[in-house]
Amino acid sequence: MAGIVFGQRIPRNEDARLLTGKAEFVDDIELPGMLHAAFLRSDYAHARINSIDVSAALKRPGVVAVYTATDFGDYWKPGPLQVPPPTAIPNSVFFARTLIPISKDKIRYSGEPLAVVIAESRYIAEDAFDDIIVDVEPLDAVTDLEKALEPGSPLVHEDLESNLAAHVIQQHGNWEEAAARADYVVKRKIMVDRCAGGAMENRGIIVDWNERSGEMTIWASTQAPIPLRNSIAARLGLFEDKVRVITPFIGGGFGPKIMTSMPDDVLIPIIATWLKRPIKWIEDRRENFLATTSERDQIHYAEIAFNKDGAILGVKDMFYHNTGAYDPYGMTVPLNTQTHTVSNYNVPNFYTEIKMVFTNEMVVTPVRGAGRPEGVFVMERLIDYAACELGMDPADIRARNLITREQYPVRTGIIGQDFVEGVLDSGDYPKALQKACDMIGYDRFIREEQPRLRAEGKHKGIGIVCFTEGTAVGPYEGARVTVGANGKVNVTTGISTQGQGHFTVFAQIAAEQLGVDVKDVNVITGDTGQFHWGAGTFASRGAAVAGTAIYKAASKIRQKAIMLGSQFLGAPEDQIELCGGRVCVKGDPSRYISMGEMAQRANPTRGTFPEGAEPGLEAVDYYGPPYGATGAGSVAMIVDVDPETMAVRVERYVIVHDAGTIINPMLVEGQVLGGVSMGIGNSFFEKMVYDENGQLLSASFMDYLLPQATDMPAKIELGHIETPSPLNPLGIKGVGEAGAIPTPACFAQAVENALADCGLQILEMPLSPSRLWELVQQSGKE
Amino acid sequence: MNLEGEHQFKGPRQEVWDMFRDPETLSACLPGKSQLTKIDEQHFEGTINIRIGPVNGSFGGNLEITDEIPPEKCTLVVQGRGVTGFVKGIGHIQFVDQGDGTTLLKYTGEAQIGGTLASVGQRMIDSVAKTMIRAAFESLNKSLEVRLAAKESGGKGVRGSDSSKVNLEKPAEEKL
Repeated sequence: MAGIVFGQRIPRNEDARLLTGKAEFVDDIELPGMLHAAFLRSDYAHARINSIDVSAALKRPGVVAVYTATDFGDYWKPGPLQVPPPTAIPNSVFFARTLIPISKDKIRYSGEPLAVVIAESRYIAEDAFDDIIVDVEPLDAVTDLEKALEPGSPLVHEDLESNLAAHVIQQHGNWEEAAARADYVVKRKIMVDRCAGGAMENRGIIVDWNERSGEMTIWASTQAPIPLRNSIAARLGLFEDKVRVITPFIGGGFGPKIMTSMPDDVLIPIIATWLKRPIKWIEDRRENFLATTSERDQIHYAEIAFNKDGAILGVKDMFYHNTGAYDPYGMTVPLNTQTHTVSNYNVPNFYTEIKMVFTNEMVVTPVRGAGRPEGVFVMERLIDYAACELGMDPADIRARNLITREQYPVRTGIIGQDFVEGVLDSGDYPKALQKACDMIGYDRFIREEQPRLRAEGKHKGIGIVCFTEGTAVGPYEGARVTVGANGKVNVTTGISTQGQGHFTVFAQIAAEQLGVDVKDVNVITGDTGQFHWGAGTFASRGAAVAGTAIYKAASKIRQKAIMLGSQFLGAPEDQIELCGGRVCVKGDPSRYISMGEMAQRANPTRGTFPEGAEPGLEAVDYYGPPYGATGAGSVAMIVDVDPETMAVRVERYVIVHDAGTIINPMLVEGQVLGGVSMGIGNSFFEKMVYDENGQLLSASFMDYLLPQATDMPAKIELGHIETPSPLNPLGIKGVGEAGAIPTPACFAQAVENALADCGLQILEMPLSPSRLWELVQQSGKE
Repeated sequence: MNLEGEHQFKGPRQEVWDMFRDPETLSACLPGKSQLTKIDEQHFEGTINIRIGPVNGSFGGNLEITDEIPPEKCTLVVQGRGVTGFVKGIGHIQFVDQGDGTTLLKYTGEAQIGGTLASVGQRMIDSVAKTMIRAAFESLNKSLEVRLAAKESGGKGVRGSDSSKVNLEKPAEEKL
């Protein structure tokens, strides 16, 4: 469905600024009289607070104020629940215990704020930590998910009977009956461990309160400027338009920046109204690891029932999900796990149960993948062990069970993060699988290359997996498109941008409709002063949902321009077209009006105005899908394992991906590659480690390893399939998380295949050389 | 983190025990500019300086000696807190008379660390702990020598009553 600019590999509008250092990020902003905030954070993961004495800190030169919980009076209370509870799911149990902005009586995670210091510089503020005397009584920490639910465990929230945060069961069909009549049932305990967002730019906020006008301006590195604005306005008793949140350029979001109830979000605006000076808080890297949300941390007890011909009859998955010390983001992550377990396969009987657990660790909220990788990992491992049991090839067993293109739309029977039943709208899963196999040369590798390599003593393995990616969920987004008197176009939308290329992609959509040059379209995102309705950038929904709103608004302008053009140029509407920035008559280049002039003529300053008309060439529109569109694909990889060092090198990586209609292939590739590198990180490098006392042991890049360029395969091969989504006029699906979701599952399969002579079973992610070595030693003993 | 090990002292058990229970001797075992003040026979408080990799700080805390069966064994409980984190440790010490004028000290214990110390320094903690323990034993060896020499040469015995004669050095601080 490629057009003149739509569907083309257009270089990004924003890159010149970004690459020459002219882009403005939160920390670039300096305001006169600005003060700096620093948070004194708890070392203990679980403790009772006896007293916090800040008197000495107040005397330090350069310190303007020091606040503890009691100073906030009525403002001190648990924050808002950012995602509604799962009441749409029958019999669900959910205990809301939202983020507390600053500890008062009890500390529940290492990193929880104890005091806020405001000083002339960040250096002075941090030096003041030395002056603050904290008297706490440490308590035993809750860190083991299963032990946390045993009677007698210390309680993270003492007003609850146990550490159970939520209990949700979903099912379709009848698992018990399927398991009873199946030829085989295979069970495994599978664990997926924690990872961080690890964005290049940490979180940050600047709050400027103008006492005279009663207006607050905030610059924040956020994925949700409108909810942030609304939350702060409500808390301070202000009308929403008195608070403006501006999102400058952001150095990566990846999920954690969706939060709007973090301690800084809540406290800095309050403090700004007291001190009446601008206040800046920029997170440092150790704080980011310690006290910004992270994700994954589940233990699954999973079973698969199948027959000897490879047909899957049912899957059962009972899993523990760690929500950390609080659950401000509801059930989004584990619900994503539930909806992404059997999604792409025909599994008539599916039972899935979540036990969400409070622990004395940092709060869990989405990180790229957001629960989906866990579901895919569990299912793909179960399928691999089923294949192993039957002596069946992993690609064949998948082909046998995949949903085929004739079956859409497929009702999954499982409610997802948008609280409606997941429906697979479109796709061609078998084609993606076949294409991935072809691209990597699957059959040839297994039959010819691998036996030869084995004979040479090399340990190379191949993996092939399938996945779906739920994207483009509601509720809605909106946009305003305006043609200016100079013929240039403004596109304004409520979501913010973290580097995905919105400034280009949204320009392409509008430019295609209005017949203007992409470079003449200026895109404004993430400024609540310019557009104030919307939810935020998450769940790979920007292009599909905001993009569709932009398309609809631009289409309205297109229709209006054609109608007015027909009037002004005296030709029937079907003879009017928009191109080159002009409204013209087809076949007669002498008859035209420029878009700019049209915009002016549509906005009279004298005379009369038609009933029901709107001035200028401007339109606002909104779009909300009935449910999210589902992308999908297959990943294949070849790995080389050094049996002595257990270093694993990914030699080839193939991903065949279906994101529906593609607006800019270059940007889609960028998203996929970025996701792949995070997926490889999740497979072999990145692990957030907490000890049994809730102490984070990996709070720097010395210990939390991000894959480097040298760790990535020399070439990542991308294959595309396009099955347009019927859910929006352009047929777009999201793609942001695609690379991250299937990679660990494929990595596990490929490494097992490389070390097939060890009988190795990989039931956890992430791995590391030392862990892999341990697993190989253990499997040798069985 | 679990710790265990042993050390041979060239002296009789009672001497080793007495030396061990002398607060000045214990103080000398602590790294850097640390110092320990006696509150009573079983309780001490003070500051200890620890450096683990890039993290460096002083910790205020206390030491308690419990489960004493002189001169056979005792348990040390240490707690320290500072800006860079906290330390908690418990050590079970046994003094075994080898029957030949020497004493074997055996210890097992565990240490818990938290805060920045843990999150940035944890990969170095094992080696730092070993180094600190080794330095402490060197210091104790010296103390024992001095004690035994003083006893032989004039019966004053306990350091402190004539400190001008005794030269007790802290072990050189190791660069890590």
